Amino acid sequence: MLEPSFLFGQFVGGLSIAMFLFLIASGLALIFGVLRILNFAHGSFYMIGAYLAWQIVHVLDAKTGGTFWLAVLGAAAAVAILGAVIERFLLRPLYGREELYQLLFTYALVLVLADAAKIIWGTQQLSVSRPPSLAGASTIFGAVVPHYNLFIMALGPIVAALVWFILHRTHIGRMVRAAALDREMLGALGADVGRIYTVMFAFGSFLAGLAGALVTPIKTVNPGMDVEIIVEAFIVIVIGGLGSLWGAFFGALIYGQFLSFGILIFPRFSIFAVFALMAIILVIRPWGLFGKPLSR
Amino acid sequence: MRTLLLAAAGAAALSLGMSVQADAADIKIGMPMILSGPGALFGEPTLKGAQMFVDEINAKGGVLGRKLQLISKDSKGNADEAVRVAREMILKDEVDFIVGTFTGAEGPAVSPIAKENKIVFVAPVSKPDALTAPKNLHPYLFRTATTTTIEGRSAAELIAKLPVKRVATISPDYAYGQEVTAAFVAHLKKIKPEMEIVDQQWPKLGEADYTPFINAQLAKQPEAVFSSLWGGHFVTFIKQATPLGYFKRINNNFVAGGEAGSIESAKAIGDDYPLGIWGNSYDVFNWEDGPAAHKDFIERLKKFTGAEQPSSWPSVGYIAMQVLVEGIRKANSTKSDDVAKALLGITVDTPIGKQIISPKNHSANRGQFWGKMVKDPRYSFAVMEKPVYVDPTPFLD
Repeated sequence: MLEPSFLFGQFVGGLSIAMFLFLIASGLALIFGVLRILNFAHGSFYMIGAYLAWQIVHVLDAKTGGTFWLAVLGAAAAVAILGAVIERFLLRPLYGREELYQLLFTYALVLVLADAAKIIWGTQQLSVSRPPSLAGASTIFGAVVPHYNLFIMALGPIVAALVWFILHRTHIGRMVRAAALDREMLGALGADVGRIYTVMFAFGSFLAGLAGALVTPIKTVNPGMDVEIIVEAFIVIVIGGLGSLWGAFFGALIYGQFLSFGILIFPRFSIFAVFALMAIILVIRPWGLFGKPLSR
Repeated sequence: MRTLLLAAAGAAALSLGMSVQADAADIKIGMPMILSGPGALFGEPTLKGAQMFVDEINAKGGVLGRKLQLISKDSKGNADEAVRVAREMILKDEVDFIVGTFTGAEGPAVSPIAKENKIVFVAPVSKPDALTAPKNLHPYLFRTATTTTIEGRSAAELIAKLPVKRVATISPDYAYGQEVTAAFVAHLKKIKPEMEIVDQQWPKLGEADYTPFINAQLAKQPEAVFSSLWGGHFVTFIKQATPLGYFKRINNNFVAGGEAGSIESAKAIGDDYPLGIWGNSYDVFNWEDGPAAHKDFIERLKKFTGAEQPSSWPSVGYIAMQVLVEGIRKANSTKSDDVAKALLGITVDTPIGKQIISPKNHSANRGQFWGKMVKDPRYSFAVMEKPVYVDPTPFLD
């Protein structure tokens, strides 16, 4: 039973779990890393992205090939705009206050967006088919791998590299990192910190919307998908070190393999896998894989 | 103008007061039901079915000369909230009976409240056997839902007829999934000992990606699989298993509980539904071999809900209310003590056939519809081919 092709199949399965999770967690890590906000509503943005993708696919002709990709980009862009509006008009007044207020606000947002989604789309389970170009599957080393999963596994590292490039190799990235270090000093130097925050929050929301739209071919779209994902996404960024993009990336990778091979040893592993992994990593490195210990 | 307004307001207040007085003679039935979150998809139509029954009986003059009034509140699919709402209904709204709750956790949580207040409580959806197990049973508790034992055994009866030897299971790792799978395995071993359970997968409830579970299961080369993934979880599983060639590898010998054959699941999966697998449902709109009473029920339901192919859930709300009202009629009283006694062993002619409340465990012999899922050109989604109502009586203890 432990043939190489089977083990490879398990590995690929874990990889596909990891990359979906990373797409969601990346925006969460980014927003925490820059704005220092634990955004509970990230899962809600992900859900709105999924609903919008469904909406666009169903308004346009679902049979033509490009519809799905149009829906993905359209949904992600719309969620980015929603994020920008929320940051500019609702979140900004809370920056000076205690962190508790921001937590309460994003939590309230979860409830408001869940009800809004229910009013707009109802309680039906909705479904989007795979794009025709990626509907097939290939056999790689004896394991069947759906093309859509291959695409996501390739997209994960691309998104990670792109975000890293923007943060570390561009002008705006430098400003963003400066804002994360000391926003008052940056403001005193004449930079428009408010705009940087809005842009970064919108970008993080874009990633959430993108993940939500991309998940529709492999997951049902229904109320509750927001809170279903947020716990795992949070744990992944905690494992990786709060706010670290590469931490989220490797945190997701480790979680995927941990679950995928864990179920072979303990059949009832899934229910506590993510907590077990968090416990192990935080005992060894309390600040997470890529986080830095607090030195104060 | 002002006087006119005042007069109108006064009249409104008066008529309001009058309607409250008239209501005092109504029989009040409280329905804690999941009306928000993912479960609302099932809770809302369940409530509609109950409301339809109430409207029908009131149009005929009510029961014992009194009208029925249904008071529903959102239980949020949460046991604590269901308890709070049930208490509020009993204390504030002064309901005479409770019919409701949805999840396997809500029913057992509300049951002690009914016992404490000596109020008849009918559970229309909660499946866990534990709800009516001897240590939890009390005189006021009744169940018109099917049970995990009935569902698991029905699936075992189906799989036992297939020409296979190697059987596997995949179920969400929580109370319902564990209980129904245990009932399935135990019954299969009893009726077909030569069949072998070669693999059991336990993804957590709400698993985002089933790929490793599917891969691990296929490696054990099962020839047939029993699943109890339900609702959106089932839809997600299907979407991920199909491209992996899962259903082809097991020759579509996939017997799916958890209402996988319901119109809700079929519509959600649309063109991606793996045709040829087996699913179950509380009710079906296309029971062509069914009795006239069922066809008539479906026609009334179409009118009441305005849906050409109505939901499978109103049936459970409707039948729960029907059983309670038959109990009231038989007892010729609305006192819970009398109704509870009358309900023991009662036989009720429901749209799906005779339902009998067993005096032993206070539960109905509620089976479900099972059938092979096929594509019918008349509908845009998969439907059961020749759905069969599986009466559990022959294989109950």
